[in-house]
Amino acid sequence: MDNNRNGDQWVEDRLATLRPDSEWQPDTCRGLAEFREKREKVRKRNRTWGWLAVGVVVASLPLMAFPPTRAFAQRCVSACVSQSSWVRDLFVGSSVPSVVYVKPDARRMAPDFVLDDASGKPVKLSDFRGKVVLLNFWATWCAPCGIEIPWFIEFQNTHQSLGFTMLGVSLDEDGWDAVRPYIDKRKINYRVMVGNDDVAQLYGAASLPTTFIIDKSGRIAATHVGLCSKAEYEADVKAVLNEQ
Amino acid sequence: MNSDQGLLDIETIFQAEYQKVARVIARVLRDPARAEELAVEVFLKWSRNPKAHGENSSAWLYRVAVRAGLDELRRETRRTRLGQLLPFVGHSATPEEVRASREDQERVRAVLAAIQPRQAELLILRSQGLSYDELASGLDLKPASIGTFLNRAEQTFRKEYIKRYGQQ
Repeated sequence: MDNNRNGDQWVEDRLATLRPDSEWQPDTCRGLAEFREKREKVRKRNRTWGWLAVGVVVASLPLMAFPPTRAFAQRCVSACVSQSSWVRDLFVGSSVPSVVYVKPDARRMAPDFVLDDASGKPVKLSDFRGKVVLLNFWATWCAPCGIEIPWFIEFQNTHQSLGFTMLGVSLDEDGWDAVRPYIDKRKINYRVMVGNDDVAQLYGAASLPTTFIIDKSGRIAATHVGLCSKAEYEADVKAVLNEQ
Repeated sequence: MNSDQGLLDIETIFQAEYQKVARVIARVLRDPARAEELAVEVFLKWSRNPKAHGENSSAWLYRVAVRAGLDELRRETRRTRLGQLLPFVGHSATPEEVRASREDQERVRAVLAAIQPRQAELLILRSQGLSYDELASGLDLKPASIGTFLNRAEQTFRKEYIKRYGQQ
């Protein structure tokens, strides 16, 4: 490497004026003492923040025993998840949700089924022809499913008059023992059925949540696998509702 | 590596490099005491950044030291913009040679604070005696392009100096 380049002597002369006084010697001992002291201070401060964070977590845990605070925390998480895919990944993991919208001429018929709802009345999917149906496969133990439920409650409220209906199929192994209290607790305002392996296989619902949007002709218009955003659901539901 | 061993290594590097780092900063600043304070800050940053440890420690320390010095110089320049116009008020007792020398230093510092930080860093580290390889490693540049960068930096420095103070 050529380090003896003929540099600009005029510039070098000027930069040479910056040489510190030859009498000045940086005091390494004093510097080291200051370094140790400051390093210790930083360590103590980090330790304090660490303990503070632990304290906040420990103090919040008992609060989760109370339904109002737990519900509030759940609403906060739900709101964040609906707004941001980053937050969704943080709480639900980085598995990529898939959303598939099918053009009207390429759609296949949604497999028909009959299942009982919470009041024991049979619900037949094909009875909903003429309406747009959002069919959600879920379970009470599935955390992402719990995040979506408030959105579905809202869709049922806002879109019902436009020819939309929300249907939930729970795949809980404990059946109604687990599902009925959950419906009451979450104040679910749409019809929920307890499904079985046959129905799950018909729809290929291998993971939860899996949700289908069924058009007015009873064909599958969109499939959402995993926790998608509220905006994605809303966009697909509106698109299918607006179809002629 | 346990924490005691880690601390020992950090302090060994501190003792080996502290004077050089403080001198690099003192080139940029007019206050040696402040240069020493900033040198300690640079080592604190370095000790918290494991990626900067290893064989490139020296290059990292020099680069961050120059930046710290230039940042402080710019802050100082902003604080005392008026003082920059009359930098030697209060120094009338200083002998003429010393005064002239300090005047030169102030001009060079003002020019370094005005040009691009990257170019100022290169000029200061070069004037500190760092080789092309050390400069390339410290500033994340290709060794082959150091000569070109250095030429450009010198031209920029010269132009800025002459614009401010004329050819002297």
